[in-house]
Amino acid sequence: MSKKTDIIVVGSGLAGLTAALSARASGRQVLLITHGVGSLAVSSGCIDVLGYHNGCPVQDPIADLPQLNPEHPYSLAGAERVEKAIDWLQSLCLAGGLNMQKNLSRRNHELITVMGTLKPSYLCPESFCTECFAKARRAAVVSFENMKDVHPLLIIDQLHRYARFADMEFMEAMLPCPIDQSHRNVTPLDVARFVDTPEGLEWLRLSLEPYAKLYPILLMPPVLGVKNSQKVWGTLCDVLKVRIVEMVSIPPGVAGLRLREVLRNALNEAGITMIENALAVRAVADDKKCLSVVTSGAGGEHSWEASQFIIATGGILGGGVATSPGKAWETIFNIPIKAPENPQEWSSTEIFGRSFFSQMGVRVNADLKAIDDSGAVLYENVRFAGRTIGGYDYASEKSGHGTALVTGMLAGELAGKE
Amino acid sequence: MLSKTDTDKCVACSTCVVQCPVAEVTTKFLGPRMLGPASERFRLLNDGEDSSLTYCANCKNCDISCPQGVGVSNINMLARAAYAKKHRPSFRDWILAHGELESRLAGIFPAALANFGMANPISKCILDKIGISKKADLPRFASKQLAAAFKAYKQPEQLSKKVVFFPGCFIKAYAPQTGMDFVWLLNKAGYRVELPDAFCCCGTPLYTNGFADDARKNAEKNLAEMRKWKEQGIKVLALCPSCELMFKEELPVFFPDLAHDGASYLENGEEFVLGCISRGELVIDAPGNAMKDKKIIYHAPCHLRALGSGMPGLDMLGSIPGLKVSSASAGCCGISGSYGFKKEKYDISMAIGSKLFQSIKNSNADLAATECGTCKVQIMHGTAMPCEHPVSILKHYLEKEQQ
Ligand SMILES: Cc1cc2nc3c(=O)[nH]c(=O)nc-3n(C[C@H](O)[C@H](O)[C@H](O)COP(=O)(O)OP(=O)(O)OC[C@H]3O[C@@H](n4cnc5c(N)ncnc54)[C@H](O)[C@@H]3O)c2cc1C
Ligand code: SF4
Ligand code: SF4
Repeated sequence: MSKKTDIIVVGSGLAGLTAALSARASGRQVLLITHGVGSLAVSSGCIDVLGYHNGCPVQDPIADLPQLNPEHPYSLAGAERVEKAIDWLQSLCLAGGLNMQKNLSRRNHELITVMGTLKPSYLCPESFCTECFAKARRAAVVSFENMKDVHPLLIIDQLHRYARFADMEFMEAMLPCPIDQSHRNVTPLDVARFVDTPEGLEWLRLSLEPYAKLYPILLMPPVLGVKNSQKVWGTLCDVLKVRIVEMVSIPPGVAGLRLREVLRNALNEAGITMIENALAVRAVADDKKCLSVVTSGAGGEHSWEASQFIIATGGILGGGVATSPGKAWETIFNIPIKAPENPQEWSSTEIFGRSFFSQMGVRVNADLKAIDDSGAVLYENVRFAGRTIGGYDYASEKSGHGTALVTGMLAGELAGKE
Repeated sequence: MLSKTDTDKCVACSTCVVQCPVAEVTTKFLGPRMLGPASERFRLLNDGEDSSLTYCANCKNCDISCPQGVGVSNINMLARAAYAKKHRPSFRDWILAHGELESRLAGIFPAALANFGMANPISKCILDKIGISKKADLPRFASKQLAAAFKAYKQPEQLSKKVVFFPGCFIKAYAPQTGMDFVWLLNKAGYRVELPDAFCCCGTPLYTNGFADDARKNAEKNLAEMRKWKEQGIKVLALCPSCELMFKEELPVFFPDLAHDGASYLENGEEFVLGCISRGELVIDAPGNAMKDKKIIYHAPCHLRALGSGMPGLDMLGSIPGLKVSSASAGCCGISGSYGFKKEKYDISMAIGSKLFQSIKNSNADLAATECGTCKVQIMHGTAMPCEHPVSILKHYLEKEQQ
């Protein structure tokens, strides 16, 4: 059976969710089709815009945008659009009860990770901001027994290697594990979920109290709840009279889940239906016009018609791009991605070197439509967003969520206008 | 091609752990990634079983969330069936798995008596002793089960087209009215309905409780009956998402020799009704006063989401003039068939459902709607609100408009 709507978005990572929301703002009907939930859910939830350029740390990503290569999604979108998308997400989150903040000087945040390293990011939950360290020079580093991935002593040791923290006084604060009898590793997410309950919040307040009396800053893994983190953070900082700083954790990163919940709620409020567990396997097109995408799932094949399509299916990990030796292609439209025939040329021996593998994806124009070698548009009513677009290396330049957000919002807005 | 239960597709990204409703509310559960693909490698070495295997609710949110298409829940259920072969499941699990058999026994007694037997405080204590939570609201057997109600009902003469109805055990024993409402809609759209006696429980409660052999017997019976209709080219329709998922996704994994390609001959009943509407066989252009300004909140059962076919029930409700429909989008209700009735799982089940209950209560709706029978039981238990299958709501509307 075939079903009709105005705009179809495929993929529910950050690019797909933001594309759906911005498309819906035009008043059109939007349907989101997805197979899997995307990397946002397990990520740190901090929006990296541009952390490194050609291997060098970037102070002010917005100022550096004009230096990017012309194929970079940011170059296609333009600096103004990048700022607009960040502000838009900020207001969306605020409406959903999550305060995402830029650094006071509009430069990259230097966030602290659970490895004790610093990570550049542009927009993060208020609870991650590290600017308070400029004033207070003493902090307790909190972890929990049985939380095997967060070791305060390692974090302290590591932080002392940075000039910014070299002379700071840190103390280890190991709290008992609130979760008993678990035979699995306790992660920050487990504790965050406990803190979501009233007794969990009270337990955390009591456990932190002695340390809060001694130190102005408490540095801890992201355990301040999933559902109401903003409130939990605000309340604890107030009653304990401290500043709590959450660290960026390895997956599950908790804050990514918080952000995803905010966006999911916004989607629901906007009346966008999400069809899950449906893998888009092919598209039906009439010359340059896509008529429908066909999904395959346990319930069989279904065809979904629309006048506009946005493909936000991610890269290799997400499922938007597939490879075999010497070949790479986009998975729904089977758009070939020009690849070196010799797989050895796919990677680079230099860590920050440009390689095909880290940048492969669909080539698009400023309208986010796929183009061929000559620059001609392949499908007039299909746009691409997020990691499925080629021409940038999110991992080494630290621009993952940033590009997903900017292209997602832009694709949605453009599709809504047609 | 890797099969859906192939552990090697797992990249250990932990997405499923983040989305598993049981792992969300209890750390007693090892979680999908560890229990599914990770433990499977040890199972292949015959290396014991994790004690929390019974905590998997088979809700399928792991499968829905996994970006790599790993069928985690099926890995868990296959492991459970293998475990049950060596360690006999409890009497309690037998009782919960064989509801259909009990309903037949109950049919011998008047329903009031049979239900009194289940619902009174003394038997609740006895049930509690064998491990069924006394806090749970077990569904009640209907006074007239579907077969009897259907027999007593006269379908209009001269209906030239024909469809077959696969009701599943819940509608048969506990919610025959839903089935009869569906028959009414199909008649109105010009279809005569067949309700074959041979159709029995799809096997979901049997398999998930560890009675694989019984599930297999049911599958054989059901598939043989389906084959008959397939040969005649007459469609078989189901209303329960778990039945549909059992035939389309699980049977081919559990019993590949039985459920080979095309053997599970079954379609979604709501989609069929939507088709009737779009073909003009079922007309809804009535003035639309019957439900004007009524508010309905819809809950999408996890097994419906797992089908990846969309939300035909929501679309159907959306087609009723004047009705205000919203979707709860609050995840799993927590019941997972008989899971939430079990004493050691009742609190887990209610904790999982709390988000949905809140969302339904906050909606100020007049009525809740969902396809799955036990989701319905759980919603009514958790919110004290009435809850109906979307086909019943459409039927009420058309019936009222007629008057
Ligand atoms: C573990 C991890 C942590 C990260 N942490 C951060 C961070 O903290 N900050 C940051 O800025 N960046 C981070 N990144 C990078 C960032 O997550 C991604 O670059 C960015 O979010 C990509 O978003 P996307 O929506 O384009 O793709 P994805 O998130 O990959 O989403 C793709 C979506 O499409 C679906 N899909 C794919 N194919 C199909 C199909 N055929 N049919 C239907 N659906 C389909 C997928 O299931 C998924 O829902 C992280 C990445 C990873 C892997
Ligand atoms: S979501 Fe899929 S790939 Fe990721 S850990 Fe779970 S089963 Fe493995
Ligand atoms: S089926 Fe449900 S309970 Fe079982 S592991 Fe998957 S998500 Fe968790």
